[in-house]
Amino acid sequence: MSSVSQELKDTSVASSKWLDAHYDPVANLYTFSSCIALSDLHGDGENKLVVGDLGTGVCNMKLKVYRGIGLLSESTLLDLPTGLVSFLMDLHEPRTPAIAVASGPFIYVYKNLRPYFKFTLPSLEVNPLEQDVWSQAKEDMIDPMTLKEMLEGLRDKAEIPLSVRSLRFLMLEPQEMENFVLLNKEQPIRRQTVITCIGTLKKNMADEDAVSCLVIGTENGDVYILDPEAFTILYKMSLPSTPTLMDVTGQFDVEFRITVACRNGNIYILRRDSLKPKYCIELSSHPVGLVRMGKNVVVGCTHETLHGYTQKGKKLWTTYLPAPVTTMALMDLPTRGFQAVLVGLANCEVHMYRDKNLIGTIKTPDVVTSICFGRYGREDGTLIMTTKGGGLIVKILKRTAVFDDRDSAPGPPIAQSIRLNVPKKTKLYVDQTLRERENAVAMHRAFQMDLSRLRLAAARAYVKALESSLTPMSASLTEPLKMNAVVQGLGPSFKLTLNIQNTAASRPVMNLAISFLYDENLYSMRTAFFKIPLLVPGLNYPIDTFVECLSDKGISDIIKVFVLREGKSAPLLTAHINMPQQLGFSTEPPKTESFSITGVQRSLRWP
Amino acid sequence: VHLHMFYLLSAAPEFPILERRNWLIHLHYIRKDYETCKAIIKEQLHETQGMCEYAVYVQALIMRLEGKIQQSLELFQSCAILNPKSSDNLKQVARSLFLLGKHKAAIEVYNEAARLNQKDWEISHNLGVCYIYTKDFKSADEQLNLALQLNKHDLTYSMLGKIHLLQGDTEKAIDVYKSAVEFSPENTELLTTLGLLYMQLGKYQKAFEHLGNALTYDPNNFKAILAAGSMMQTHGDYDVAMNKYRVAAYSVPESPPLWNNIGMCFFGKKKYVAAISCLKRANYLSPFDWKILYNLGLVHLTMQQYASAFHFLSAAINLRPRMSQLYMLLAVALTNLDDADNARRSHEQAVQLDESDPLVNLNFAVFLYNQGDKKAALLQFQEMERKVNTQVENNSSTEFDPEMVEMAQKLAGALQAAAGYSKSMQMSTEPEADVSRAPSPPTVPPGDPEEEEEETAKLTEKKSKPKAVAE
Repeated sequence: MSSVSQELKDTSVASSKWLDAHYDPVANLYTFSSCIALSDLHGDGENKLVVGDLGTGVCNMKLKVYRGIGLLSESTLLDLPTGLVSFLMDLHEPRTPAIAVASGPFIYVYKNLRPYFKFTLPSLEVNPLEQDVWSQAKEDMIDPMTLKEMLEGLRDKAEIPLSVRSLRFLMLEPQEMENFVLLNKEQPIRRQTVITCIGTLKKNMADEDAVSCLVIGTENGDVYILDPEAFTILYKMSLPSTPTLMDVTGQFDVEFRITVACRNGNIYILRRDSLKPKYCIELSSHPVGLVRMGKNVVVGCTHETLHGYTQKGKKLWTTYLPAPVTTMALMDLPTRGFQAVLVGLANCEVHMYRDKNLIGTIKTPDVVTSICFGRYGREDGTLIMTTKGGGLIVKILKRTAVFDDRDSAPGPPIAQSIRLNVPKKTKLYVDQTLRERENAVAMHRAFQMDLSRLRLAAARAYVKALESSLTPMSASLTEPLKMNAVVQGLGPSFKLTLNIQNTAASRPVMNLAISFLYDENLYSMRTAFFKIPLLVPGLNYPIDTFVECLSDKGISDIIKVFVLREGKSAPLLTAHINMPQQLGFSTEPPKTESFSITGVQRSLRWP
Repeated sequence: VHLHMFYLLSAAPEFPILERRNWLIHLHYIRKDYETCKAIIKEQLHETQGMCEYAVYVQALIMRLEGKIQQSLELFQSCAILNPKSSDNLKQVARSLFLLGKHKAAIEVYNEAARLNQKDWEISHNLGVCYIYTKDFKSADEQLNLALQLNKHDLTYSMLGKIHLLQGDTEKAIDVYKSAVEFSPENTELLTTLGLLYMQLGKYQKAFEHLGNALTYDPNNFKAILAAGSMMQTHGDYDVAMNKYRVAAYSVPESPPLWNNIGMCFFGKKKYVAAISCLKRANYLSPFDWKILYNLGLVHLTMQQYASAFHFLSAAINLRPRMSQLYMLLAVALTNLDDADNARRSHEQAVQLDESDPLVNLNFAVFLYNQGDKKAALLQFQEMERKVNTQVENNSSTEFDPEMVEMAQKLAGALQAAAGYSKSMQMSTEPEADVSRAPSPPTVPPGDPEEEEEETAKLTEKKSKPKAVAE
C-alpha cells in the first residue's frame, strides 16, 4: 500500500513541475526532432519555433515559424525536409541566425525567412566504364542489346554503382530501349546522393553566438563540413554506412568530435585528425535517438533500451524502457547547471533520465514524435513536442521545479504487499480430515477391498467377453478382421448392413461365412447364413440382409452375428446387435445403431 | 507566404534519385510505425519502378516481422540481385532461411556473406546459431567464439553457454556465463542463468549471490524469484521467501512450481491446511507432476491423513517409478495403515533403488526394529552408516539433519542393547520413549518415520527448485 501511494505522489509531483502553456491537437504538424529548431530569427531576443513540416509526406511540405502560440509565417518547401538547423553564418550586425533546411541533395539557406542560398551536394563519381559504354552508345557504335549486356556486366562487378539512368535502362523491355537511348544519350551521366542528417559545428570560438559550420551526412556514407559563408566543402570524411543521427561537438579549427548513428546499427565517432571513424559502438538493435550529455553519449534503441557510452565507445550502463522509443532530445538548463535526456515513448509518455536514473515522467495525450527543449519566446525552460496525430504541445518548466537526483533503484514491487490468494478450506473439509485421522486404517482397507472387487469384476467381464469373441484381441493374428454393423429402417422391416474389412497388410482372407443367431419368435431373416467372398486387404465389403420383426408388441432383442471360417466351429468374430424397437407410427425419429469390432482368429471352443 | 526563388534555381534531375526517401523509410521503421512505413515504401517503389533497394529491403523486414517469411525471403533475394555486393542482403536472406528452418541453406548463404564482410560479429553469431540447430556443436562453438572476438554481445554469450549445456558441460557453461556477467553486469537473464547453474552444482552461496543481483536489477524476475525463494526455504527463511513469492504470484498466478513452493513454505511454517490448499492448486494446475504429489503425500503424512497420503504417493510412484524416497514415504504410510507386509515390500524396494540416502535405510531399520526383526534392522543400520561415511568422505562439511542424527543414536542404543544383552527389547511405535541414552558412534545418524518427514520436506523443496527453473 505504501509504495502505491508513494508512486502516486511521485507522478503528481512530476506533473506539477511543468506549466501547460499550449496544446493544439490539430496543429497539423508532421515532423521529427531533426526538423525542429528554436531560433532568435529576428534578433529581437525572442526565440521563435522553426519547424520543417513534411506535409502529407508527398506534398504540401512547409517551413513554419511559430511565435508564442501562433503561427507567424509559413513558406512552401520543394521537397521533404530531412533536417533543419539554425546557425550564425557571419559576424554581420544584427546577429540574426540563418536557417538551413536539408532536403534531397540540397541545403536551402534562409535568412530573415527569405531564401538566401542553395547548396547542392557534389555529384558522385561516375564509373568510367559506364561513361565509356554510354559514349559508345551515343555514337551508335553499339546497339541497345549490347549496351544492356555491358551494363549488366558492370553492375555485377564494378566497385562504383551504376547511375540511375543505367539502372532504369536495365529495367526496360527490349522494344523501349531504342527510344530511351535516343532520348538520354546526349545528357551527361550524373550520380547524385541525398542528405540524411545535418548538424552544426562552431568554427573557431566556443561562444554561444559564434559562427558555425554546417555538418551534413549523406546517403552514400559521407560526412561533409561546409564553410559557413562560402558553402565550400572544408572537410570530407567517410563512414561504412549511411548516417541517420548526428551529434557534433567542439570547434572546427581546434578539435571536434562527430558522433554518428548509422543505418547498420553502429555508432561511429569521427575526430578532426582522421578521415575514418576513430571508434565504433556496435549496438544490438537500431538506434532511434542519440543525445550527448557532457562527455557521454546516450542512445535509445529499438529494443526498448537506453544505453550510456563514453565518448570512446565504452559501455557504461543500460536501462530498460517500458515502451519503444520514438524520439530523444537533450534537456539543457545551463543557468541551473542541469542536464537530462528526454525520451519520447510509444506509450504516450516522455521520460527524463539523468544517467540511468529516471527523474521524471510527463504524460502526453498522444505519442510524441519530436521533442525540442530550449529557450522559446523569452522563457528559458520550454519543452516543445509534436505528436503523431499532428498536435503541438508547449510546456514550461516551473522555476521552482527541483529534480532530486536520487537513485531510481525501485523499492520492493507493489505486488509484494498484495495478499496471496490461498484457497480457503471449509469446515466440512476439516471434519473430513479429522474423520480420516481417526479411521485411516478402516478407510484404507475399505478402499482396497472395493478396488480389488472392481478389478475382479472388470477381469471377469473381460474374460467373458474373450470367451464369446466379443472384444477385439491381439493374440494369434492370422486373419485380422474388422466388422461394423448398421441397422436401418423403422420396422417392422429392417435392413442390416455388415461392413467387413480385412485389415491385414497384404494377405487376402478366404472361405469365410456369416451366420446369425436370433429369437425366431421375434425376428425372421431372409438368409441367416451366407458366404463371404474373398476379402482383399483394406477394402470394405458391405453385406446387406433384411430382418423382419414378427412381434407387434414393441419388444426388441439382440441378434448375434458370427463370422466363421469354413470347417471350423469357433467363430472368428462375434457381434451382438441391439435391434431397435419397432416404431410403428409413433413420432419418434428412427434410430440407427452401429458399432464396430475388430477381431482376429482365435482357437476358443464354441461355448 | 513568400514567393519562392528556389523554383527558378532548381532544375529537376532527369531521374528522381532512387534513395531520396530512404531516410524517411528508415525513420519510420525504427520507430516501429510500420503502417506509415509501408505506405512510403509503396510510393517509393512505384516511383522507382521497384529499383529502390532499401525500400525493398525494409519491406522485406516488415514482412518478416509480420510472419510472412517466405515472401520476405523472396524480397531479400531480389535485393541481393539489385546489389550483389552487399553482405547485408545476404545476411537477411540467410536469416529468413534460418527462420524457415532451412539451416543448411542458411549456413551456405552466411558463409557467402562472410566472404564479403570478414569482420562481422553478426554473421559469425548467426552461423553459430545455425550450427547449433544442425547439431554441429564444434563449429558452433568456433563461430560463436569468433563472434565474441569481433564484438561482445550478451546474446552470443547466452548461445555459447547453451551449447555447453546441450553438451552437458555445466562447468564450461558457467565459465561462459561468468565472463558474460562481467561484460554485462546488469543483464538479469544472464545473472539468473548463472545462478541456476551454480545451484545445479550445489554452490548455493554463489548461486544466491547472482540470483540476488538479478533481483536487485529486476525485482519481478520470475525465474530468479522462484530459485532464490526455494533457497531461502531451504534455510528456513519462510517469510522472506513468501514475500518474494507474492511478487511472482502477481505476475504468474498459474505456475505449478510457484504454488508448490508456496505450499511448502506454509508447511515449513506449520500451517498445514494452507499448505495443502496451495499444493492442491499446484496439483490441479499440473496433475502429472510427481514432485507436487510427493509433497502432498508428505504433508498428508504429517497431518496423519495416511489414507490420503497413500493415494498421493502411489500416484507419484506411477509417474516416477524409480525414486527410492517415494517408496520410503509409501512404506511409512503403509506402516501407519497397519499394512506391514506391503510396508516391508515398499521399504525393500526403496532400499534397492537407493544409492546414497541414509534416511531410506534408517527408516527401514526402524521399521524392522519395530517389527521385532533386530538382525535385519542391524543390517540396515550398518548400510546407513556406510552411506553416511561415504558422504562425509566426499564432503567433510556435509551436515545431517539433527533430528535424523538423534533418532539414529536412539536406534543405535536400542540395537546395541538388544544385541549386547540379547534381551528382546520391544520398541513401541514411538521409539523415542523406549530408547535409552546409549553411547553411539558420533557420526552415526538415523531417524524414525516421524522424523523423516521433516527431513524429506527439505529434500522436496530442493527438488522443486530446479523444476521451477525449467519452467
